[in-house]
Amino acid sequence: MATTACFIIVSRNDIPIYEAEVGSAAKREDAAQLHQFILHAALDIVQDLAWTTSAMYLKAVDRFNDLVVSAYVTADTHTRLMLLHDSRNDDGIKSFFQEVHELYIKTLLNPTYLPGSRITSSHFDTKVRALARKYL
Amino acid sequence: MEPDVSIETSSMIRVAVVPIGHVPPVLLRDYHSMLLRHQTIPLSAISSFYTEHQKSPFAHQPWDSGSLRFKFVLGGAPPSPWEDFQSNRKILAVIGICHCPSSPDLDSVIDQFETACRGYSASLVERCFAFCPGDSQLEDGSKKGGNLMLFPPADRATQEFHLQTMMQDIAASLLMKFEKWVLKAEPAGTIVKTPLDSQTTLNSEEVIKAKKRRLGRAQKTMGDYCLLAGSPVDANLHYTTALELARLTGDFFWYAGALEGSVCALLIDRMGQKDAAVEEEVRYRYSSVILHYRKSFIQEHAQRVSPLTFELEATLKLARFLCRRELAKEVVELLTNAADGAKSLIDASDRLVLYVEIARLYGTLGYQRKAAFFSRQVAQLYLQQDNRLAAISAMQVLAMTTKAYRVQSKASISEDSPGKKETGSSVAEGGKMLHQSVVSLFESQWSTLQMVVLREILLSAVRAGDPLAAWGAAARLLRSYYPLITPAGQNGLAIALSNSADRLPSGTRCADPALPFIRLYSFPLHSSQMDIVKRNHAREDWWAGAANTGPFIYTPFSKGEPSNSSKQELIWIVGEPVQILVELANPCGFDLMVDSIYLSVPSGNFDAFPVTVNLPPNSSKVVTLSGIPTSVGPVTIPGCTVHCFGVITEHLFKDVDNLLLGATQGLVLSDPFRCCGSARLKNISVPSISVVPPLPLLVSRVVGGDGAIILHEGEIRDIWISLANAGTVPVEQVHVSLSGKHQDSVLSIASETLKSALPLRPGAEVTIPVTLKAWRIVLADADAATGRSASVKHSKDGNSPTLLIHYAGPLPNAGDPSTNKSVVPPGRRLVVPLQICVLQGLSFVKARLLSMEIPAQVGENLPKPVHIDNSSTEGAVGTPNKMDRLVKIDPFRGSWGLRFLELELSNPTEVVFEISVSVQLEDSSHEHSLSVDRDATEYGCPKTRIDRDCSARVLIPLEHFKLPVLDDSFFVKDNQADGTVGSKSSSFSERNTKAELNASIKNLISRIKVRWQSGRNSSGELNIKDAVQVALQTSVMDILLPDPLTFCFRLSRTSPGTANIDLPEESNGQVASKGSVLAHEMTPMEVMVRNNTKELIKMSLSVACRDVAGENCVECAKATVLCSGVLCGITMEVPPLEEIKHSFSLYFLVPGEYSMTAAAMIEDANDILRARARTKSSDEPIFCRGPPYHVRVVGTA
Repeated sequence: MATTACFIIVSRNDIPIYEAEVGSAAKREDAAQLHQFILHAALDIVQDLAWTTSAMYLKAVDRFNDLVVSAYVTADTHTRLMLLHDSRNDDGIKSFFQEVHELYIKTLLNPTYLPGSRITSSHFDTKVRALARKYL
Repeated sequence: MEPDVSIETSSMIRVAVVPIGHVPPVLLRDYHSMLLRHQTIPLSAISSFYTEHQKSPFAHQPWDSGSLRFKFVLGGAPPSPWEDFQSNRKILAVIGICHCPSSPDLDSVIDQFETACRGYSASLVERCFAFCPGDSQLEDGSKKGGNLMLFPPADRATQEFHLQTMMQDIAASLLMKFEKWVLKAEPAGTIVKTPLDSQTTLNSEEVIKAKKRRLGRAQKTMGDYCLLAGSPVDANLHYTTALELARLTGDFFWYAGALEGSVCALLIDRMGQKDAAVEEEVRYRYSSVILHYRKSFIQEHAQRVSPLTFELEATLKLARFLCRRELAKEVVELLTNAADGAKSLIDASDRLVLYVEIARLYGTLGYQRKAAFFSRQVAQLYLQQDNRLAAISAMQVLAMTTKAYRVQSKASISEDSPGKKETGSSVAEGGKMLHQSVVSLFESQWSTLQMVVLREILLSAVRAGDPLAAWGAAARLLRSYYPLITPAGQNGLAIALSNSADRLPSGTRCADPALPFIRLYSFPLHSSQMDIVKRNHAREDWWAGAANTGPFIYTPFSKGEPSNSSKQELIWIVGEPVQILVELANPCGFDLMVDSIYLSVPSGNFDAFPVTVNLPPNSSKVVTLSGIPTSVGPVTIPGCTVHCFGVITEHLFKDVDNLLLGATQGLVLSDPFRCCGSARLKNISVPSISVVPPLPLLVSRVVGGDGAIILHEGEIRDIWISLANAGTVPVEQVHVSLSGKHQDSVLSIASETLKSALPLRPGAEVTIPVTLKAWRIVLADADAATGRSASVKHSKDGNSPTLLIHYAGPLPNAGDPSTNKSVVPPGRRLVVPLQICVLQGLSFVKARLLSMEIPAQVGENLPKPVHIDNSSTEGAVGTPNKMDRLVKIDPFRGSWGLRFLELELSNPTEVVFEISVSVQLEDSSHEHSLSVDRDATEYGCPKTRIDRDCSARVLIPLEHFKLPVLDDSFFVKDNQADGTVGSKSSSFSERNTKAELNASIKNLISRIKVRWQSGRNSSGELNIKDAVQVALQTSVMDILLPDPLTFCFRLSRTSPGTANIDLPEESNGQVASKGSVLAHEMTPMEVMVRNNTKELIKMSLSVACRDVAGENCVECAKATVLCSGVLCGITMEVPPLEEIKHSFSLYFLVPGEYSMTAAAMIEDANDILRARARTKSSDEPIFCRGPPYHVRVVGTA
């Protein structure tokens, strides 16, 4: 499992709708903030990169110091799944993104969920963290 | 590292610009900006100042197209350790700037300038520009000569021209110096070293190596000078040589430097033309440059000095060169690599420069978020320095990131895009906002980052000592992210706000509102007391036309009109206070003290009254804000001005509306009003308000108290309403009308009184009486709740009628040309609700029809049928106790046909009622002379008192309603309505009959009035019409119509025996009345038959006499009465409306009571009679029987 990993889902309106620190490293507030700043900055690159490929998984798109940003862009709503990590486990990240995407679609199917709003389901959170343990 | 580097930097001559003496900063900046215009001096322009002393080493100098470039360094710079390596880092010229008025002594200026120049050892040319010299200084200075250049006072154009000449002179001087330097350098083999070279003494091998390298380095330096001198071709030649030599000697650092120079030479040569080939060449060469800088890294020097900065600079140069949207990917790659180098940089300021440059390049690329990220890194580096200047820098850098993080101050938003702001407001005003545009408002709201950035701004602002910025940041933080901040944190922010405010002058305004949240609660339209009605000029009823356009809710014609009904319009009046309700919310965990809040009106024609509000934690409050319009025109109210936490801020309703919209979309963290427990409100649109000139204002008051008028059911009472003109304009037109429920309960309004009081001057008052009659409480209500509570509630439901008083001031002068029809001042409407509270009064239980059957006694006089008893009643008509007569029945008259309507009334209330029944008799003289005395008389019954919780019965005699004649015309309706004669009715007109019957019943009923009185001043009428009608329905015919024949008996006087009869009676003085009959005497009697119809009736009359037991005692076996004359089968014809007598005599054998009845068999009965008799078949004989008459026979047996 990666020591540092910050996973975020960004809605098409550039609003984070889900955020989770899934790394094994001890949680520090300033580090978590830095992670989000890096992810936010990487949106600029994802935005350009998403149109250059038909693949949803964009691999590592950006990095700052030792931290790498991998991104996965859903086809339908341009929702971006972004992971900040310090590991190089490309396949694991890809599988992680795919599984989370599936979870996200299930959430979207929930009629009480308003697309674009924050995902507050604890079930979703538990599942994502389990997937992170499995793949990262 | 140096900021702002680019490939062309190598060709720029660095010039220090130093202030000499005191130069005011504004002027220094001004002079510097003048210099900046001369950054590029074309070679063609300096040829006049240039003199070729010896053969120029710049053989290929492009005199016609080339130029010298300057880079002005304001304030100068310390010498760089790398200036041997890159000659452009040397300060090659010094320009002193002197402001003569502040430094009068030119000698000291020259001294100071020379001192300043001493710091720049590499400088080749020095000049001191002295601006604005006085006359004495001009004289003095012209003698001084040398480096001091005086700029005589002149207009700006002249000065600039002067400066240009000076700069060209400097350029020429520099060019000549460069030539000299290059010529000197070549043979001498100048020693050039860099910090990268070993500082320690060299061993022999290294000395040899260094000697070899020296040639190459010299070539490179000469190339640098060629570049500075604006001769790229010469530079390129030198660089090529240098490259060759550096490669041979393995001098990678200088190789890279020479390569960089050659790229610069290439670009200068191409004069900025960028084609793909050049770009490819630059990219290729620069990748080599970067590679060689990296190669030159020497581990042993790593602690002291590193070529890394050059590598990074080269990377940035390349990135800047390539920085275009199409090459974004490449640039990003370069910048990412550059950012990676940051952690290897030894010097913190190098890192700062690096991040600044990266941020700038990302910004140029359009990657705002990336730029913001690196800007924030810069700010963090500044904040690490922990001094005030650094904090100011940090604050300014962070302020630049706010746009990318969407936490801008409102001030900056409005500066940035005034257009955008306007569109936003117009959308908001439209009321309905598209989902998409709502979403766009909340786009990129990344709360975690926003909070961090705002907190850093707050921190840096506090450190930098900028209280306003600190206040703004804390306000934004608190307002937008209170749900994410702990109560302690919220408290801390509140303290930060107050601390910042303490350092601000009072009355400071800030663009960013803090708390509370303010939304429009309601926009009270005019109260009904002061409603404004558009005046329709053309119509008499001016209040009517303006509002409605017809009976339809929607008409296609009104659609196109500009005044769409969806947009509310509100009219305010100059000088009349208005109120607006707003709701404030404090979702935070501290007490919020709003020092003052008032409506903000940019249009300026409104005086708003401030109020102070205290909001406890997590609470919301609805506050009334008021003000007075001061002048005519439109009023816009976009929000409120709030003085809270020591700073004045503007709170716009639109912002909160958007926030609430976002909350419903799940885009915003929380709805501040909802978390304060306030209910969701409908979106209230701000109506368009216009202010009109003063209008009259009527104020109403009910005389005797404003409370509800308490009436019992059916009560009639007068109330007085006083109207006063509280405005400043006289009332000239008034119209009173009614609306609401139970309008019929208002019997009369003295609108004439009101009209006669016009014009009502300001301050004048008029009182008008209004007569009310209480309505009946609906039965269901009376059942549901007993008595008062129900009825009070009932009246509050708006059951009461209201008076609408439309009034208006004077019309504009018709002759005045300046006023046209469109500016007719509007009228107003005063709504006076008559708060009538109807209490349950007497309740009617039931009505019954009673009939009385008391036979009359046969007397000497003819007992008068009721409807023809004029003579006997004549005297009694006038007496007040006329009803007594009905009750105390004349025994000779009997009351066979008498019917009573019995009303049972109960009194469930708590007061005593007195009932009086009156029957109004119709004037029927036109019908028959016999009933002449009944016109317009009333029968007054004695009052009946009903105590509380008691019930009573009231009898109403109905005998007076009988018609005198059984008339065909009348009978038609009667017959028809009577269902039993359906078969007979075919000959009659079937139409209208039912209605006519009902009308006649109604007519009858309406004449019966049951009045009540309770206490001193409440009286009314019982509404029992329906009940009476039901009671009368079945037997109405019997009441209204007379029998076709009436029979009367009397003792005949004409016979000789009469005297006998009378005598004993009188002499005996017996109790028996004069009508008594003695036994054993022949008693002559008459039966009178009256035809009540208008046709001749043929009949056979028979008279019967019965004893008490009801046995016929004339013709039976044990007859006790003997008779003479015919008693049976007397055939007679009675002409219409006439009487016929039939005489006979009886001889009573036994004293006692006998009853006489007359009966007739009508022959050849017509339809009317049949209908009256309700016969079933046409051939059935009609039998008509009169009432029994009593005969009392006295005497001994």
